[in-house]
Amino acid sequence: MTLNEVKEILEAEVIIGSDKLKMEVKIGCAADSMSDILAFAKPGALLLTGLTNPQVVYTSEISDIKAICFVRGKKPDEKVIKLAKSKNLPMLMTHLPMFESCGRLYANGLIGIGYLDIEKKNG
Amino acid sequence: MITLKEIIQKLNLEVMSASGDFDREIRGGYVSDLLSDVIANSKEGNIWITLQTHPNIVAVATLKELAGIIIVNKRKPEDETLKKAEEENIPVMVTELSAFEIVGGLYELGIGRATENAKEV
Amino acid sequence: MAEDKKYTKIQELTYELKVGNVMTKKVVTVSPKKTIYKLRNILHTKRISGTPVVDKGKLVGIISTEDFMKCLAKGETNIPVEERMTKKVETLYADEPLVHAVRKFDQYGFGRFPVIERGKGKLVGIITKGDIIKGLLKKLEIDYHKEEIHRYRASHIFEDIVADRTTLTFHYNVVGEDFNRAGESASGLKRTLFRLGIQPDSVRRAAIAAYEAEMNIVVFTEGGKLTVSVETHRIKIEASDSGPGIPDIEQAMQPGFSTAPERIRELGFGAGMGLLNIKNCADKMNLTSKVGKGTHLEAIIYLNQR
Ligand SMILES: Nc1ncnc2c1ncn2[C@@H]1O[C@H](COP(=O)(O)OP(=O)(O)OP(=O)(O)O)[C@@H](O)[C@H]1O
Ligand SMILES: [Mg+2]
Repeated sequence: MTLNEVKEILEAEVIIGSDKLKMEVKIGCAADSMSDILAFAKPGALLLTGLTNPQVVYTSEISDIKAICFVRGKKPDEKVIKLAKSKNLPMLMTHLPMFESCGRLYANGLIGIGYLDIEKKNG
Repeated sequence: MITLKEIIQKLNLEVMSASGDFDREIRGGYVSDLLSDVIANSKEGNIWITLQTHPNIVAVATLKELAGIIIVNKRKPEDETLKKAEEENIPVMVTELSAFEIVGGLYELGIGRATENAKEV
Repeated sequence: MAEDKKYTKIQELTYELKVGNVMTKKVVTVSPKKTIYKLRNILHTKRISGTPVVDKGKLVGIISTEDFMKCLAKGETNIPVEERMTKKVETLYADEPLVHAVRKFDQYGFGRFPVIERGKGKLVGIITKGDIIKGLLKKLEIDYHKEEIHRYRASHIFEDIVADRTTLTFHYNVVGEDFNRAGESASGLKRTLFRLGIQPDSVRRAAIAAYEAEMNIVVFTEGGKLTVSVETHRIKIEASDSGPGIPDIEQAMQPGFSTAPERIRELGFGAGMGLLNIKNCADKMNLTSKVGKGTHLEAIIYLNQR
């Protein structure tokens, strides 16, 4: 799924990265807990979150998240936008709640990764 | 229309605290790991998806009269959480799936689609 | 050594970079006809240990401070340099890989080598150990003056290359309760590890472990240190603080256990997963703590293993 499709499906607004809308995201990850993102997010995932602090950007960078979509109409402040820009991290924002956002993306073919897959991967 | 019991069956959830109303109809859900957000924005009767496991989640579910809590990523609720859940009649389930996937599954069952939930902010 | 022996990025670069890339091009030289007496000024003002002797652009010898002293002692200050210089000079070619230079420094113990153009014998520069280190770091885009890297064991790179054991140590200061900068150290570390050419999976695991350790220092203490040392075969992450300490480590390691206050949970921390994340990312983890004294965490990630 491309970022542009994500944008359409979630009726989202592009905060930064309008030049990167062709970028592919294959996996969805919904979380408000940084440790959870670090533990479960697969490289290249789209992160859906309600948090907008600088640590969301750092966490995304550390766990190779490809793009962030803020839910529930949350918009990060300028400082965070600047930080994300410096790291080349596209950010979208949707007014939809997390539940509806996940549901719509899942229904449109974006997959997730859960504990089962992690266990399989680890052997 | 779908009940909590059917959801548990269809999505293969493991029931950790079985006291509560499992025949309740579930229309909408709420996903968040931030208690204040759940307190502010979830709706009565919502099924709550989170990875939080500490006892406060039961307090929040009780306060907002949520239909139940699904804990994701195979995390185990603390004993204290389950004790409280039994006292407060809040069903607690766990799943090995991630929040994104379990919500996807619930959405496919028709939960949260075009309900008042979709319009909340 | 086994065939599949992996080189660190630094070692790789010693093959990739050429002597000509890192040498100093501006060289103080002396002509063979100059008197030893005149040489005095050069050695004195430039504080150099050896001066190339150049005739019409061509290197014809080198005269060291030692040679000069000997002449002084004998009172031979008026004879030309060419009569006392060393004529058989060990040199390097500008197009030779750096690794040759490294070996030569090791072999001869000299402080510098003149660099000449292959075939023509024309002097084009001079190279010191310092030039090599600076050149390598520059290529890696590691800014060792940057505030966040307080002490960079650059001076050891050289010995390490010779010993086939490159160790780089990075230090980060972590400030307690600073949620504007929390995460910066791990983020910087990740970039640096990438530049060092470490495989993405190992970089990711090291970065996650460092980030969780950094966040614990930010959240639970008044500040501490993150020290990361990178060797050919492993990355070692150490986090230490003089904070409140952990009363029951076994309990702290349990998934879901957290003493983080609600204010911290609202920021997305305090799910009680951090230490477990570190354990899962590391090949080895060691956590020690004394209540009232502080906490020390060590995580090791082996390279080229998984
Ligand atoms: N450096 C430290 N100093 C004092 N206590 C610590 C330190 N690191 C961890 N702890 C204690 O160990 C507990 C578990 O730490 P862990 O990193 O696993 O979870 P957390 O930080 O609470 O939540 P998360 O990491 O998921 O955001 C913490 O809640 C805290 O009580
Ligand atoms: Mg932590």
